Amino acid sequence: MRIRLLPRTLLVVAALLMPPLVEATAAAQTPRALIETLGDKAIKSLTGNVPRAEREQRFQTLLRDGFDVEAIGRFTLGRYWRQATPEQQAEYLKLFERFIVQAYAARFAEYTGEQFRVTGERPDGDVVLVQSEIFKAGAPPTKVEWRVAHNSAPKIVDVVVEGVSMAVTQRSEFAAVIQRSGGSVDGLLAALRSKTSG
Amino acid sequence: MERTRQRMRTGLGRLATLACALALVALTATAAGAADPDDDADDPLEGLNRSLYDVNRVLDGLLLKPAAMVYRGVLPEEVRDGVRNVLDNLKGPVILANDLMQGESTRAGVTLKRFAVNSTVGMLGVRDAASAEGLYRHDEDFGQTLAVWGIGGGPYLFLPLLGPTNPRDVTGMLVDNFVIDPWGHMARATDNDWFSYTRFGLDVLDTRARNIEALDDIERNQIDPYAFIRTTSRQRRASEILNGRPASGAR
Repeated sequence: MRIRLLPRTLLVVAALLMPPLVEATAAAQTPRALIETLGDKAIKSLTGNVPRAEREQRFQTLLRDGFDVEAIGRFTLGRYWRQATPEQQAEYLKLFERFIVQAYAARFAEYTGEQFRVTGERPDGDVVLVQSEIFKAGAPPTKVEWRVAHNSAPKIVDVVVEGVSMAVTQRSEFAAVIQRSGGSVDGLLAALRSKTSG
Repeated sequence: MERTRQRMRTGLGRLATLACALALVALTATAAGAADPDDDADDPLEGLNRSLYDVNRVLDGLLLKPAAMVYRGVLPEEVRDGVRNVLDNLKGPVILANDLMQGESTRAGVTLKRFAVNSTVGMLGVRDAASAEGLYRHDEDFGQTLAVWGIGGGPYLFLPLLGPTNPRDVTGMLVDNFVIDPWGHMARATDNDWFSYTRFGLDVLDTRARNIEALDDIERNQIDPYAFIRTTSRQRRASEILNGRPASGAR
């Protein structure tokens, strides 16, 4: 599927006129359809000249709609999840979502007219791997794989860009922060708090 | 006479470095073994690496980044793209040799065609005419060839200027540049060492200029940039070694 890109101004107008993103997609959906609609929406609503707060708001909506944020959060805390108290777990999940929104929403601002298409899918254990490409004429495409868990509704549990898994990356970074603060989850919570307070 | 001696000395120096690096690889390759994929750190030299990371950040902030910003500010994009294309085209023979040593005949064919097209139609590599025909560039180096041959990376290293690497890949880089690369040999043989220095300098400068926003982003948005670069560079490298094919038994 190819997405023809509109001029920037038109894009912004279209994004502003778009109805809220949540309701429409909740019903029965295949993993592939989830990725197709999500990619479409991300390019329409997150790129171009959108104020930062607005972009983060929209990104958060897409994140909650398409991703299993709690499962990703648990995975990225790794073995420290079970060591954390319920209070620490709850605060961690809140900070984790905020951190992801801040760190990743901004990356859509640097978008320069690439197109997005789903190229295939294959089962991989208990998830479906949806393969896609971000491409631009005259340049090799960037390969993006989406790990989609399919329970009541399909939800993304990881995004792998050219072999780099976002979930593994965050788990590794968080583990380093925890280890450097003497194995304490509080060290990570403090770091996340100060990073997301800006 | 003086020049010849000079050349021999640097040649010997390089050989010595190469020998040391090879010895280091041999030592560490056996020790590396199969790392637990869940052991995210696996960084026995972390203390040293973090110091070198800080050294690099200071040097980068004082010298390389400002130079890269000037480079990007002064030269128009078309010129910088031309420079990049020439540098990439010069890497053709090294990529081809490594494609072949890894038994990747299809990719070797692409590299060969790219080099032929870009060196002629592309005016000595200035224009990447091959990409316009769907012959996209891929990278390959002797570090990857060693990996394909079953040699482990050894301990993670963060080196100033080179960034995230390991003893195997440092060895690979030395072999690529001083053994395989034909242009380096030609430059040395004809007393045109300036060519190799200019090429190296431009490569570093252009690479840095293309990553200004990306690195700023990591420093600004991640909570432990060192750990972030460590894990992403390793995952990327593992994927490059497999030429983007899915790993068997991945998580």
